[in-house]
Amino acid sequence: MSTSASLTERRGIPAASFVEDVQTYLSQLNLDVNSALAFLQERLQQYRVVEMKLLAQQRDLQAKIPDIEKCLDVVATLQSKKGTGEELIADFEVSEGIYSRACIEEAESVCLWLGANVMLDYSCEEATVLLEKNLENAKASLEVLLADLQFLRDQVTITQVTIARVYNWDVHQRRLRQAVATPSES
Amino acid sequence: MSKAGSSASETEVTWEDQQNINKFGRLNNRLHEVEDEIKIAKETNESLEDAGNELILTDEDTVRFQIGEVFAHVPKEEVESRIEEMTEKTSKNLVKLEEEKESIVAQMAALKKILYGKFKDSINLEED
Repeated sequence: MSTSASLTERRGIPAASFVEDVQTYLSQLNLDVNSALAFLQERLQQYRVVEMKLLAQQRDLQAKIPDIEKCLDVVATLQSKKGTGEELIADFEVSEGIYSRACIEEAESVCLWLGANVMLDYSCEEATVLLEKNLENAKASLEVLLADLQFLRDQVTITQVTIARVYNWDVHQRRLRQAVATPSES
Repeated sequence: MSKAGSSASETEVTWEDQQNINKFGRLNNRLHEVEDEIKIAKETNESLEDAGNELILTDEDTVRFQIGEVFAHVPKEEVESRIEEMTEKTSKNLVKLEEEKESIVAQMAALKKILYGKFKDSINLEED
């Protein structure tokens, strides 16, 4: 009887069932060794495909988080200048290698790029709130994603070990059959 | 890193063994991530130190300090304190990462002992 992991699947990723005994496993599936190995290899491939997808999502999120933190930094700086009467002089990139100087006085509001060609005006406080919420969401999504990846990698490991065990069991069976078939050698 | 058995011995793999193998795999992945993060943290520390040194050498009162995507004109003292703050943050992070790395290495050594103890040659837990 093969006992499966505590979860049978996680967010669409099927769990690899742990095999207690290879013989029982094969008779349960009603497959010969080669078909079982083929099935397990295919499962492994499917896991790899999902892993690629998750890794790409992870890279995106890991790039997004520092971007949001930079924005928060800028808004905080603008806010700290407010009320002091000081203006913020900043050099910014107009085009690659070309910089120009901007003089920012009393930043009442900032414009935030929301994506999809939409940019909205926000007060500094509102902008900070929105950006912090986005940062929190991004970090939470990343955590869930990393847990998914861990689960996936565990299933890959279980499948790899199962493949090795089925293969070894087959080799062992062949040796036994050979020993039985040639009793005169003993 | 290969974990597959290679000999035809009949040592049975229990669910506990499988969980140990899984844990070893996860620790190994995390170890590589931590090592990369440590490398980045060390490089950041170096850059901050270079910046600090440059700051001492310059005779300007206003320094162009990068905030977000722009270079803001910031008075020298403020830049000094900002750099100090950043250096402290990175150093603390580095210490935390080194500690995590030590813990992972210790856990992996313990698991290796258990797994090699049971499976001997049937399992390979080395980096190839």
